[in-house]
Amino acid sequence: MKTDELISLMAASHQPVDTGRLRHATWLAAAVALSVTAMVLVNTLGVRPDLAAAIMTMPVIAKLLFGGSIAMISLILFQQSLRPGLQPRRLLPLAAIPVALIAGFALLTLAQAPAEQWNTLIFGRYWRSCLFNVPLYALLPLAVLLLLARRGAPIDGRLTGASAGLASGGLAAVAYALHCPDDTIPFLAIWYTLAVALVAGISTLALPRLLRW
Amino acid sequence: MSLDDLETELRPIFLAALAGDAAAYKVFLDAISARLRGYLRRLLARTGRSEPSEAEDVLQETLLALHLSRHTYEPSSPVTAWAHAIARYKLIDHLRRTGRHAGNLPLDDEVYQLAAPESGAADARLDLERAMQALPVRTRRLVEQVKLQGASIAEAAGVEGMTETAAKVAIHRGLQAMAKFLSRRGRSP
Repeated sequence: MKTDELISLMAASHQPVDTGRLRHATWLAAAVALSVTAMVLVNTLGVRPDLAAAIMTMPVIAKLLFGGSIAMISLILFQQSLRPGLQPRRLLPLAAIPVALIAGFALLTLAQAPAEQWNTLIFGRYWRSCLFNVPLYALLPLAVLLLLARRGAPIDGRLTGASAGLASGGLAAVAYALHCPDDTIPFLAIWYTLAVALVAGISTLALPRLLRW
Repeated sequence: MSLDDLETELRPIFLAALAGDAAAYKVFLDAISARLRGYLRRLLARTGRSEPSEAEDVLQETLLALHLSRHTYEPSSPVTAWAHAIARYKLIDHLRRTGRHAGNLPLDDEVYQLAAPESGAADARLDLERAMQALPVRTRRLVEQVKLQGASIAEAAGVEGMTETAAKVAIHRGLQAMAKFLSRRGRSP
């Protein structure tokens, strides 16, 4: 087939195109993935018994804000990484802002506490559960974002992988906050960050080969 | 024509195309394909491959990718950057598939600033023909009528006893299948 023929064929079958579709689909997919993940979590791990009272307390709000802000920033990056010609890689450091803020907050908390409490403040009771469950519950949002990425044109598979992983980890952190009984800022800063980083790392390594088009 | 001039010229045309103007879309494709042909030939020459037919193959694959990814264009960004980024991706994919190291391709934007458009199409090799053989018979007949005999979609649809919309959908699916065929060929499973 000659190139001119191909062009005629494409022009003849051309139809109006909605360039906002990817953006809307990204937000919708994230909202649905978060709701379903939270529902699954509520029905498997269950919510913390004192959730109604705890939800308005600072540590729980901090967890929700932490996961939510990482997810928001990463979803913007993710969506842009599906559009060739933009340079979203420059924006990747933005995802570190919530981490830096919570790390500063955690250091402040530790500095004000006596040294013998550090162990309790950092490890809490269930750090293993956090490290295991956040990545586990991130699998559903990650699968949804992977399907979405295949509808875009990812030319930088690692960036798409990294941002999808960060976003899924952030969403899973929001859901896990409904269950997590450990309410210290150093706990949040260390284990939530590590859990999200774990998802991002796996996703950065695994997604590129699934995203070739 | 400098890249900035091309951008100034093409952006409104492409935006009109996205809104549904098929004639504008054809103008855009003609202009961008000449530009990308020069870009791809130049980059391929750097990796020691200067057969125009190879560049034409990659160009056709790129055009299919542009077509199927129209919805990924961000309307506030330069359309030439979008098109060149896709061409570059497809070229690297092509080099990887054909066992060539892509490491020394320039990462910066300079090359596409400099590449001159080439309107002289070369004959592509048989890749796209082979991709077409993989299509369902009816879709292939539609494609043949539209591309070879220059029939409009409405006419071709009439011959096949389909509605125009159904024919457009069939051709769209056909183009998708061809793109998939091209990006899979020669790749280890």
